[in-house]
Amino acid sequence: MTTENKIKEVRNDRCGDRYFEIQHSSGLRIYLYPKEKHNSTYAVFGTKYGSIDNCFQATGDKEPQCVPSGIAHYLEHKMFESEDGDAFARYAKTGASANAYTSFDMTCYLFSCTENVYEALEILLDFVQSPYFTEKTVQKEQGIIGQEIRMYDDNPQWRVMFNLLKALYHNHPVKIDIAGTIESIAQITPELLYKCYNTFYNLNNMALCVAGNIDPERVLALCDKMLKPSPPSKVQRIFEPEPETIVQPRIEQSLSVAVPLFELGFKESVANGRANVQQLAATDILLEALASPASPLYRSLLDDGLINEASFSHEYFEGPGFASVIFSGESADPDAVAERIKEEIQRIRREGIGKEAFRRAKNAVYGRNLMALNDVGVIANTMLSLSFADRELFSYIDAVAEADEDSVLARLDVQLNPENSAISIVKPIR
Amino acid sequence: MAEIERRSVCDGVWFRSIRDSRFKTVRISIHFFRPLERDTVSENAILPFLLTRASRQYPDYTKLNEHLAELYGAELDADVQKLGDLQVLSISITGLADRYALCGEKLSSEYSRLLCSLLFDPLLVDGMFPEDGFEQEKRQMSETLDAEFNDKRLYALRRCEEIMCSGEPYGIGRYGTKKDIQAIKRENLTQVWQSMIHSAQAEIIVLGDCDPEPVFKDFSDAFLNVGRAFKVVPCSKVIKTVDCPKEETETTDVAQSKLVMGFRAGCAEPDKMVPAMKLMSALYGGTPNSKLFLNVREKMSLCYYCSSMFNPMKGLLMVQSGVENTNIERAKNEILKQLEEVKKNNFTDDDLQAAKLSLCNSYHTVADSLDSLEGWYLSKTFSDPSRTPEQEAAMITAVTREELVEAANKVVLDTVYRLTGIEAKQ
Repeated sequence: MTTENKIKEVRNDRCGDRYFEIQHSSGLRIYLYPKEKHNSTYAVFGTKYGSIDNCFQATGDKEPQCVPSGIAHYLEHKMFESEDGDAFARYAKTGASANAYTSFDMTCYLFSCTENVYEALEILLDFVQSPYFTEKTVQKEQGIIGQEIRMYDDNPQWRVMFNLLKALYHNHPVKIDIAGTIESIAQITPELLYKCYNTFYNLNNMALCVAGNIDPERVLALCDKMLKPSPPSKVQRIFEPEPETIVQPRIEQSLSVAVPLFELGFKESVANGRANVQQLAATDILLEALASPASPLYRSLLDDGLINEASFSHEYFEGPGFASVIFSGESADPDAVAERIKEEIQRIRREGIGKEAFRRAKNAVYGRNLMALNDVGVIANTMLSLSFADRELFSYIDAVAEADEDSVLARLDVQLNPENSAISIVKPIR
Repeated sequence: MAEIERRSVCDGVWFRSIRDSRFKTVRISIHFFRPLERDTVSENAILPFLLTRASRQYPDYTKLNEHLAELYGAELDADVQKLGDLQVLSISITGLADRYALCGEKLSSEYSRLLCSLLFDPLLVDGMFPEDGFEQEKRQMSETLDAEFNDKRLYALRRCEEIMCSGEPYGIGRYGTKKDIQAIKRENLTQVWQSMIHSAQAEIIVLGDCDPEPVFKDFSDAFLNVGRAFKVVPCSKVIKTVDCPKEETETTDVAQSKLVMGFRAGCAEPDKMVPAMKLMSALYGGTPNSKLFLNVREKMSLCYYCSSMFNPMKGLLMVQSGVENTNIERAKNEILKQLEEVKKNNFTDDDLQAAKLSLCNSYHTVADSLDSLEGWYLSKTFSDPSRTPEQEAAMITAVTREELVEAANKVVLDTVYRLTGIEAKQ
């Protein structure tokens, strides 16, 4: 190991696990989470660059640049190709199961394997640092991504979500489909891909997380060998100002479905920046108390035939410049569901959650988070996304264990404002 | 990794367990096997859902869920699936291991007792399952079928299997149809439940960080109380020949058409050829390095996904893809052409080795997840109930090129199903 790498061990008594956080000399942040008795290892190498980063000004640029929607995702597809074949062909020699995904604010390349871990990791570190785009290879992807877009056009869950985001957000690019449109991807060129790559695939803007059956020393030695130091980078992400209000309270679309789907979103202000782990923990407990199967709301919706257990769910959907609580599911009468949820929120505002309900909700959130630590994939992906938001995994678990009822009720002051909510419905074609 | 232990609880009831402290959780499940039959499929299917709503000890849905939350968010699940021509009715619970309880609660014994209470001591009113719960579960089963239609990829795959196996038990959906669900009679269900615990083959699987002995005892005592009259379940029917391939096209309002091709693989568990067929499917369409991925997607740019799956219980090989209407025939021809290539031994040693590595990797990964372990051992119930993923990986590694080609040559096309969009008006 070189002496320039700064290594910190992070332990947690509650879950009994530990990991290493390394600020690597190349500029990359690395997290190594050993699970010595596991068969498999899961590695994810990601950049803080997603579908919302469509306008930016990099160091040395004279003016901001706006690029076609869907380019981060397109870039993800094209990273697998190089001059001498593609990464899947290289991975095939190791047995690793490899993949990649692009979200609103990250692009991640990953693999899972049980043998040849270091060979697979070498491939991952190599191809993500080696862009290769030509007219021909870029052109070839049009058909494939075109079909991916068409597939999502038919996906009612996807449509109901993006319609909701259009109803909640005036300007924020979170409302634009991650893959873009057939028209926007037609404008993508090798030059634009290189521009985005050079701007965002700088190791200072990236992180690597490896969880599973690993020898941390050996992983670091490989990082020392493979990582090409990046110059310090400064990229300015440019977002149009987003009003605190919603665009419209209701949005509907007809699709080939047998039963209506809905998403009800409550937009919140992001004036104070992103939530810290204490606020995240409090929100998770609040939503558990409000809408889990143990809640009175859930029971009344179920008894009246308004929701089903297979689909009714909630999430805290937040990222750079956006934050909303979203309830979703299938229902014969989505408007009635929305009404009930809003009434219950007002009731909790008036009456509180209650000691017992709070304790149960806290227990449930705590237990589920600990249970998730069985899974090396969940660990690696969670640590990466937390890292990009300057949060930390064990602090979050501790925050859940230490949350009190007041901190949970305090979230109601900034969240779940019925005045700032919208409902999106996808209904059957008549 | 710890070995699985299998022992008999009583006539037709088996208990398998792996104790493993690598996990922070415990998973206890019980699975009942019933022959798939049109007349009984829906009344069987509703049972696990009714049983996990309430019991005499927890007579109220909310109280039961409060108890689960109390137990650190323990997850109680009901599930119905198909294993060959059998219907599998499952109830399971997953929860935190004892050592993580914040106040020293004995969680594992709670899980075991709760499952036994739900299964053997249900809430009955006048000898019947309560009407409100019954109506609600009927509605939810119906809505699950609706949701399957919403997911066109899954819907197309299920439709193809249904058409292909229309004369076999496997052609029946795991819940039956919406009409079958509507026809369930509440007054029959107590008898259906009793018959299940008295006579159905049952498999109890206990995995993770807990001592299996108390669980074994809880279930032994419970089964002893009800008495057993075990009926052996029939073997799955395996069809190996096709007179004339079926073609079916249905139309709905979609942007992307779906193509599903069902093949008869000519072998099924416990046939010795099964490992070779699994390898053949991996090489043909199971990985991003497979024939289908490299040709139909990468070379021809026709689709985003094109993959094959082998069902070893029924001997079916299913290929699915999502394509433009205008490209369906091109995709179909290429899928058939690539199968011919494998049949003619046109693949490299690297291709063969890559398929082996990929399959072995997925088998070695099974041991790291309780869900995967349970699924693994459950699927082995009627072939080799104690076969470990590692043993299977060794069998795959031993498959020769000749055996793979021989397996490929057993594969025949049975059904082509297309779900096409209504042509966009120019």
